[in-house]
Amino acid sequence: MKELQELAHKLLSDGTVKVVIGYEEGPRGVRPAFITDAAQAGTLIFDKRCVQNLAAYLNPRRKQITQLGKAAIVVKGCDARSVAGLIREKQVERDNLVIIAVRCGGVLESPEADRELTSETVSVRCAGCVDREPKLYDYLTGEVLPEPPVNTRRTEQIAELEKMSPADRWKFWTGELSRCIRCHACREACPMCFCVQCTAEKTQPQWIDPSPTPRGNRAWQTMRVLHQAGRCVDCLECERACPEHIPLGLLARYVADSVERRFEYTASEDPSVRAPLGVFRNDDGEEFIR
Amino acid sequence: MNIYQPHLMRIQEITDETADTRTLKLEFKDPSVAEKFQFSAGQFGEYSVFGEGESTFCIASPPTRTGYIECSFKATGKVTQALRRLSVGDTLGFRGPYGNHFPLEEMKGHSVVFIAGGIGLAPVRCVIWNVLDLRDQFKDVTIIYGARTVDDLVYKRELEEWAQRSDVKLCLAVDPGGETPDWKGLVARIPTAVETAVTTAEDSFAVICGPPIMIKFTLPVLAKLGFPGERIYTTLENRMKCGLGKCGRCNIGPTYVCKDGPVFTAAQIQELPQEF
Amino acid sequence: MTQRFLSNAGLAALVTELVAAHTRVIAPARASDDPEQIDYVSIHKLEDAAIGVRLPRRSLKELFLPPSEVLLYYRQTKDGVEIREVPTKAPPQVILGATPCDVAGLEVVDKVMGWDYRDELWFGRREATTIVSVLCTVMDSTCFCTAVGLGPDSFRGSDVLLVPVTGGYLAHVITPKGEALLQGHGADASEAMQAEATAAQDEARKKVEPNLATIPAELSGWLAKNFDNPVWKTIALRCHGCGACAAVCPTCHCFDIVDEHEGADEGTRRRNWDSCQTEKFTLHASGHNPRQTQSERFRQRIQHKFSIYPSRFGEILCTGCGRCSRSCPGGMDLPKIVGELIAMSQAEPEVKNQ
Repeated sequence: MKELQELAHKLLSDGTVKVVIGYEEGPRGVRPAFITDAAQAGTLIFDKRCVQNLAAYLNPRRKQITQLGKAAIVVKGCDARSVAGLIREKQVERDNLVIIAVRCGGVLESPEADRELTSETVSVRCAGCVDREPKLYDYLTGEVLPEPPVNTRRTEQIAELEKMSPADRWKFWTGELSRCIRCHACREACPMCFCVQCTAEKTQPQWIDPSPTPRGNRAWQTMRVLHQAGRCVDCLECERACPEHIPLGLLARYVADSVERRFEYTASEDPSVRAPLGVFRNDDGEEFIR
Repeated sequence: MNIYQPHLMRIQEITDETADTRTLKLEFKDPSVAEKFQFSAGQFGEYSVFGEGESTFCIASPPTRTGYIECSFKATGKVTQALRRLSVGDTLGFRGPYGNHFPLEEMKGHSVVFIAGGIGLAPVRCVIWNVLDLRDQFKDVTIIYGARTVDDLVYKRELEEWAQRSDVKLCLAVDPGGETPDWKGLVARIPTAVETAVTTAEDSFAVICGPPIMIKFTLPVLAKLGFPGERIYTTLENRMKCGLGKCGRCNIGPTYVCKDGPVFTAAQIQELPQEF
Repeated sequence: MTQRFLSNAGLAALVTELVAAHTRVIAPARASDDPEQIDYVSIHKLEDAAIGVRLPRRSLKELFLPPSEVLLYYRQTKDGVEIREVPTKAPPQVILGATPCDVAGLEVVDKVMGWDYRDELWFGRREATTIVSVLCTVMDSTCFCTAVGLGPDSFRGSDVLLVPVTGGYLAHVITPKGEALLQGHGADASEAMQAEATAAQDEARKKVEPNLATIPAELSGWLAKNFDNPVWKTIALRCHGCGACAAVCPTCHCFDIVDEHEGADEGTRRRNWDSCQTEKFTLHASGHNPRQTQSERFRQRIQHKFSIYPSRFGEILCTGCGRCSRSCPGGMDLPKIVGELIAMSQAEPEVKNQ
């Protein structure tokens, strides 16, 4: 942590960056920090409560942040994959960003209460993580931490879903999505949802019904998760933001797994690696064209 | 009574003012509503195409003419494009009248200077006819109206009517480059046209409506002539949905455009937070 | 206003009677997807309820202003359009065991819903509902009901306030509706019971008061005068503009109106929840947006709740329930932010606009 704080202090004092986007202690646990004054660099922390994916704050539409100037961002390995996505898709210029990666030992589900990492408390997304030693960075900080316990809850849920008949699965998702109120918090919290005009907001034609009805909700959520295919890093910010507690991460993970199976690809930490949705290869499968 | 339920209207007449601006003349389908319907100059309504949505326009016809209302609009979004696809005889919805109005009573016995640009003539036209229908209750009536090009002038047949009247001073203008070879009016932007056509603010009210940039440069001209902020009236627009103060969308600070407006004085607008 | 004593058995019997009479009873209960959480749901017997366990995840708002409701049905015919109206009368229902912050929120929103044009969809449901609230003992450090002039024992919006005492509840019977509900139920409340209730109420107040001092009346005016204060540029950097706060808030009521096709010739006009925190809330068809960045949109939230609504309706548009802060993925904390603004207003009461 001291390493991180000193690095932030240096980057701000020598003018390399104008703001360090990281984590700090807030009234309700860990919260995102925007340090513009080198004297405040000591407030930066990193621990297992640092759940948030801060890459969302690099969205070029967030003018209140971009106008602060060049940023440094603190990322875990998973977050770095979002940053890579933003660079790959030309939303962020690599030269205009300082990436401070932190070695991670797994995170809890919530940034609020501190507790021991167990197979019950660790976030489901840490299961199978290969990014604990980040690869995209300007600076790599923190000590190597032990591998976190594995929370199998979601793997089990997905296995259950895969066993269901399509009709039962339809019923399951219609039920879960019936709670959706179309607040779009999932979209706003997602680092990869940076479109100036979301497809859901196009009115001519109205592709997606705007009202929270079963039809509109199914259309909205399936469209969003498909637009995330190959781009989503499973940060679960969507699920954390959802005021109706819909298991959005379940849907996102399922699509990510499908992309991995079909294209042998997960959202890469290397911005130069092309993502399946942006590439056509001659050997792409076409068995669905009959 | 559901306040969100519209009256059903039938399109009586369609006039294309310009290539992109259309006027609809609407009659109430329910004769009992038609009989009772009243409004004041400056008020607006929510006009809807069922299945597409509602859109906010002022009532462009004067309250002195009963049995119908008119609206003028440009097809910019989903609902206005849908309005353009309607024909004479088609049904649409109307909720209103909403908002405040121009202070006709206060203006009586005084002179009125009307200034409008482009489609901004629509709300002003309502007041103009309201005044002309009660002509002897007002002193001098001056109308300064301009657009980018001759084609962009709206209500062309009424401009001719006003030009013929001896009790109206009409000054038409188009922007430099917008004139045609037979154009007889001014070639100037509105602020310059106002300087040319208006010589005094004495005993006068100003009613002004048009693109924000036109208003920005015309207000100093009016100030120089001696119009105090309290005697310059304009209308404000903002994104609206309910039109009646509940959906929380159209406020500028504590001022709700749908309830405290859309008619404001220049003095009131100066006090508003600059968030519009 | 009177006090009565209602035993636990008596309350159970009241619920059973209401259910038998086909009156819907809504109470806090363990959530089906997470038993640690509480939701307001329909119950059939008192033991299905979980009163006084935890603040329900969502407020009562959705029972009176649903996330989506039909305003009218339309059908295109050869002669034009036929409109089918929606009913504005609602069937009777009783809300039992709600928190005072949720209940007060309804009365606060009544003001805008009755402003000149009476929203019969809202008031139809309000009139059909009898509300029994319960003393809040589940406050945490994010609550601040006393700061906005309410409290864990507030009567606002309630017909009956139940205060847990030995063997049951002391019922403050506040309105004629409350009187009618308890007709034939309960017994006289002894002085000892009243004393026990008063002590419980005082204790509850003491638990939440330290969280935030009473918001001074001057804040509303200071906010209005400090519209362009530089604080707005940095106060909401971590805000995603997601609108989750508006969704869970008992007093946020802003809505959108849209038409939807249900077939080639028919459909609905609906009103849906909306939030000033979204980018397109104030977006004009021309592309102009008066509130272009999240700084301005967050400013609107604070201004509306703590300045505009008070200046128009004499009420703060907030009941201090803290849900906005608990649900915020960006870590915004409203009571802390309001506290900071109060401190600013007191340190520099004059205008400090850029």
